[in-house]
Amino acid sequence: MASVSDRRYTRRDTVLVLLCLGLSFVGLFSPVERGQAIADTLRETVLAPLVWLQARAEEGRTSRVRFRQVTAERDSSSYLAQFLPSLRAENERLRQLLRLSRRLNTSYIAAEVLHQPQATDGRTLLLSAGSRDGVSAFNPVVAPEGLIGVILSVSSRSSIAMSWAHPEFRVSAFTVSGNAFGVVAPATEGRYGEGALEFRGVPYRDSVPLGTLVLSSGLGGVFPKGIPVGTVIGTVRVEAGWERVYRLRPAANPGSAAHVLVLAGGRTGDLARAFPSDSLLEAMRLDSIARVRRADSVAQAARAARAARRDSLARSSPILGGTPTVTPPPATDSIP
Amino acid sequence: MSPNRVSRAQLLLVMILLLVLQFYLRPRLWDARISPDFLLIALMLYAMRSSPGVAALAGFVVGLIADTLTPARFGAGALAHTLVGYLAAWGRSIFFADNMLVNAGFVAAGLWFRDLVVLLTSGSDHRQLLTELTLYSPLQALTTAGCALLVLITFRAWFSIRLDA
Repeated sequence: MASVSDRRYTRRDTVLVLLCLGLSFVGLFSPVERGQAIADTLRETVLAPLVWLQARAEEGRTSRVRFRQVTAERDSSSYLAQFLPSLRAENERLRQLLRLSRRLNTSYIAAEVLHQPQATDGRTLLLSAGSRDGVSAFNPVVAPEGLIGVILSVSSRSSIAMSWAHPEFRVSAFTVSGNAFGVVAPATEGRYGEGALEFRGVPYRDSVPLGTLVLSSGLGGVFPKGIPVGTVIGTVRVEAGWERVYRLRPAANPGSAAHVLVLAGGRTGDLARAFPSDSLLEAMRLDSIARVRRADSVAQAARAARAARRDSLARSSPILGGTPTVTPPPATDSIP
Repeated sequence: MSPNRVSRAQLLLVMILLLVLQFYLRPRLWDARISPDFLLIALMLYAMRSSPGVAALAGFVVGLIADTLTPARFGAGALAHTLVGYLAAWGRSIFFADNMLVNAGFVAAGLWFRDLVVLLTSGSDHRQLLTELTLYSPLQALTTAGCALLVLITFRAWFSIRLDA
């Protein structure tokens, strides 16, 4: 280590800087597959302990263990604890995932998203599940709200998902009413370009009203049919006479997703029933809360009844310190 | 700064601590886009005490780690971190950086510059570039600089940073 005073720019420095810059440019301009192969190898070998460490930290943060306990106990105290805002939000999200996993008619792998501090983190996501868990390339990745992306590369303990925010992401889609088909891609222009999607290639004659839900069509064989992709929020442009391009609000946000499901069941049928509308989800949630409340009130009534019975026994039994119940003699009129 | 003021063993210890913080503490903090980048702090602290060539090499290694974990564009992180390491080593010799706030400023500037290079080389559109560089990068630079200050205060005896700034 050189000090400030005696630091000199030596030939070794020049060679090192040029070497590093050269290697960086080689990485930048080499084929994508080669870069991914190098990344997979490094992730599996040198960086495996660090990925493992981060996976454990994610697990701790998201309190999956605590959630399992809460789900198992289902008592009033944990119910009240869920009203803490952060815990409630996290539990709600995990519950949504659990509900989604129950509704899915295909096999899936639950994975944690290991977010990185890079500015491009939302485009590719590092997932904590790999080929050892059954993940393979081109498996769709979903959140309770809808489509997140597709698996790009897999190593044994982790995998990389390309989210819909990646410039090369495309998914064939159709409107929920079934009257318009097109291709969804990340938005590249317009006022709300960042973080939005575009529904391209819709025939000019098929106009789509605002608020229409757009689902994956299943064409192409990568994404199953029926996964929510986004909701129409406006028109980007109209190519005179032949095409309309709509702007979509994405159904799921890869930047904030902490847990996802990787669909590993190959080509499946329609998954639209696994992603019910918001109103239906809310109704299901309220129904489950009502069930918990009913169970709580029944348990409380049973406890109260037991306590009352114990009290009455204690009062009537002299062994337990009470006084026997004596029927009072009939009252007689007293004569002053 | 003379070599005996911060020995290699002490520096290595701080680097390992920052590495653990990066992968164990940072995921437990808030949003990943604004949470502090401990690896960049480690790189800056090391680069400001090394020759430009060694600093560039350290930057390349840190960038390779970043590229491996976020391969949006393999090589972008390596290039950005190499430049950051190299410039940090030069900046240290040009500016008088034996001051805590200057050190923190170096870290913040390094992070912002790193994001600029990564976004430019990974082909971001101008809106995303603007949002990242004007909102998320400055916020992350602030949190990272704050953490760098904490590290420097905690290990002030090892790094010999003046606290009268």
